[in-house]
Amino acid sequence: MNSLKVQNGEVFNHNEIEFLNADKFHASVLNGLSNGYRMIGLFPVDKKNPNKIVSILSDSASSSLYIIGYENKGDKLEFESFANQFPQTNYFECELAENYGYKPLYHPWLRPVRKQNIILGSQPYKFFKLDGDEVHEVAVGPIHAGVIEPGHFRFQCHGELVYHLEINLGYQHRGIESLMLNANPNQRIILSESIAGDTVIGHTSTHCNAFESLTETQINLRAQVIRSIAEELERIAMHLTGLGGIANDIGFALPASAYGRLRTLVINSLASLCGSRFGRGLFVYGGVRFDFNDENIKQIKSNLEIVKKDIEAINDFLFSSTGALIRFENTGVVSKDFAGKIGLVGTAAKACGIELDSRINFPYGAYRYFPVSPITLSTGDVFARARLRALEIDESLRFIFEQLENIPSGITTEKVGELRINSGVISIVEGWRGEIIHSAFTDEEGKIIQYKIKDPSFNNWYGLSLALRNTAISDFPLCNKSFDLSYAGHDL
Amino acid sequence: MIDAIKLRILQRDSIIQDVSTASLPKLFRGLPVIEDKPCPDGCKKCAEVCPTNAIKTEPLSIDLGLCLFCPLCEEVCPEKIIHYTNDFNLAVDKREKLIITKETKTISPEKASEKIRKYFGRSLKLRQISAGGCNGCELELNALSNVNFDMGRFGIEFVASPRHADGIVITGPLTKNMANATQICYDAVPNPKIIILFGACAISGGIFKNSEETERKFLEQNKIDLYIPGCPPHPLTFINGLLDWLDKK
Ligand code: SF4
Ligand code: SF4
Repeated sequence: MNSLKVQNGEVFNHNEIEFLNADKFHASVLNGLSNGYRMIGLFPVDKKNPNKIVSILSDSASSSLYIIGYENKGDKLEFESFANQFPQTNYFECELAENYGYKPLYHPWLRPVRKQNIILGSQPYKFFKLDGDEVHEVAVGPIHAGVIEPGHFRFQCHGELVYHLEINLGYQHRGIESLMLNANPNQRIILSESIAGDTVIGHTSTHCNAFESLTETQINLRAQVIRSIAEELERIAMHLTGLGGIANDIGFALPASAYGRLRTLVINSLASLCGSRFGRGLFVYGGVRFDFNDENIKQIKSNLEIVKKDIEAINDFLFSSTGALIRFENTGVVSKDFAGKIGLVGTAAKACGIELDSRINFPYGAYRYFPVSPITLSTGDVFARARLRALEIDESLRFIFEQLENIPSGITTEKVGELRINSGVISIVEGWRGEIIHSAFTDEEGKIIQYKIKDPSFNNWYGLSLALRNTAISDFPLCNKSFDLSYAGHDL
Repeated sequence: MIDAIKLRILQRDSIIQDVSTASLPKLFRGLPVIEDKPCPDGCKKCAEVCPTNAIKTEPLSIDLGLCLFCPLCEEVCPEKIIHYTNDFNLAVDKREKLIITKETKTISPEKASEKIRKYFGRSLKLRQISAGGCNGCELELNALSNVNFDMGRFGIEFVASPRHADGIVITGPLTKNMANATQICYDAVPNPKIIILFGACAISGGIFKNSEETERKFLEQNKIDLYIPGCPPHPLTFINGLLDWLDKK
């Protein structure tokens, strides 16, 4: 494999990437994928020059990232698709095709990612249609029943059973990656906070890690600990929201409202640290804007004590209810093998038995010194996805209590220098949904020429589609909630 | 059953009894005040650092329709002239009222017309449209229905179908990809109907105002009834704004 090997958050000189010809590129990427590596990015180094692209592969066993370059020398933008053999690359290829006009040769099924009409010229995308007696089609969205983001879902059903589901997104597309290139530093942080408003800490932390690497800034351990406490608070809060949503989707009002009440305590804990219930304003380049003091530590501890005590009773109540278990078990199943093939990440992957947690596999910040334990389940159904989140809450609580006992002293912000020239960085953080990746590249003046964002939802929407096969359409809301994916994070 | 009762007891009474007197943590960034002190000569620090150009100097003013409550301006001001208070009463009925000057002490909406109060005063059903935001606003709108805020007790609720709604609440900067669906949804709401803009994105485009992927014609063509500033706005800002507007306090 002809590649540049780097680690999470390691800054590199992008002139060191060897840009291969089509054959060598294809062979190198295939070689990596055959070793069991996962594709985590496929895009040009310079947004304005689509001829030079990189494919980034990740090996979670050795915590390594491999960058393989390709220079398209012909007059047509094309490369040979990997998706027939490795379905996990499918969506990355569709994205490259849509954003830059590439043609992935022999690609099995090009679909729009965010712009509904681009790949197929000016023709609107034609959904796959099932034929046969008593076959019917159900179309939902972009506007759905609840207060929820927009997306279009097209089901091909026979009776109650879903045979095929296509999910078309892009309604939230607001061009964040382009805005990033021209934004000033203050704007960049706020743009990161607004990639997915339910993952403010996750995305902003990924962004700041990237820029701190590019400016070669070491941040103080105290700030790192504050960041990871915030990250865990976000995880707990959103897992509580998700569990409440799952209970709500099976019409189980009591646990739904009980989880909701606890979530308020958690987001108010974040607010007592930084004034915003979602952690907006907490991050600055070089550290954090707000510090812990006796008062907010006391507040957070007392809030979390209540959560710790009450959640046990709520979990017991929900997960011992036969009515709930009948709905959860064997619903929306994804097997471990399948999950690996399509490249699921985060809670959806962990629920199928895949050990993949960036805090453990690609440790960053405070997690390098204070590790968290891996948690996986094996059944890959709604039950596993829900239960896993309950278990992750326990682990996050443990982590926070431990850190709060022993916060290192030190300053909370370091001075930040200039962006390194001709450099690149790949920054990975485990948001509550899973693996968040931001890749940034600079030119010879230190200007940002590419900023690529990958939310875990980008990998996992496809998982939801497939989980629905052979599942009753009436279970769709429940399955959807159990994946709990972001539209904003996908659409950018 | 007994477990259910135990769980219910555990819940205690977590509702915010009086939404108008609830207090927020002191770090919460609500209504800014501009002190009546002169700025140092030529100082434009706050305006330069603002990510959305919400600040104008000479005389100093802050446009809450653009403001993200990020506190950068407060942080850089050498004279501590700008200060964000934890006053969450920020809803208004006219765009101009969102411009904060040193004269501003509080802001609030004018009471809605008698007709609107007669129609919607006791029951207001809203259809929410997400149009390109980040989902932060949606989280706060969803929180309105939880046990703490319980907006339903005031007769205000979100409904699934626009045909059952009395108005729409828009979040997000209105992307090109949502322009059509937004219009269709609005057309499906029977008259009389209201439009509420929730969050900086909806009001001004917010941090996305320079995006080439937005299409805000709909907002220019229709009368807006209420503006709820914030990024995202606090649930209390929304409830209190509506209660003031409908004269239900
Ligand atoms: S708090 Fe508002 S006005 Fe001040 S800098 Fe931030 S966005 Fe601008
Ligand atoms: S106003 Fe802020 S919180 Fe609301 S959608 Fe826009 S960026 Fe997100």
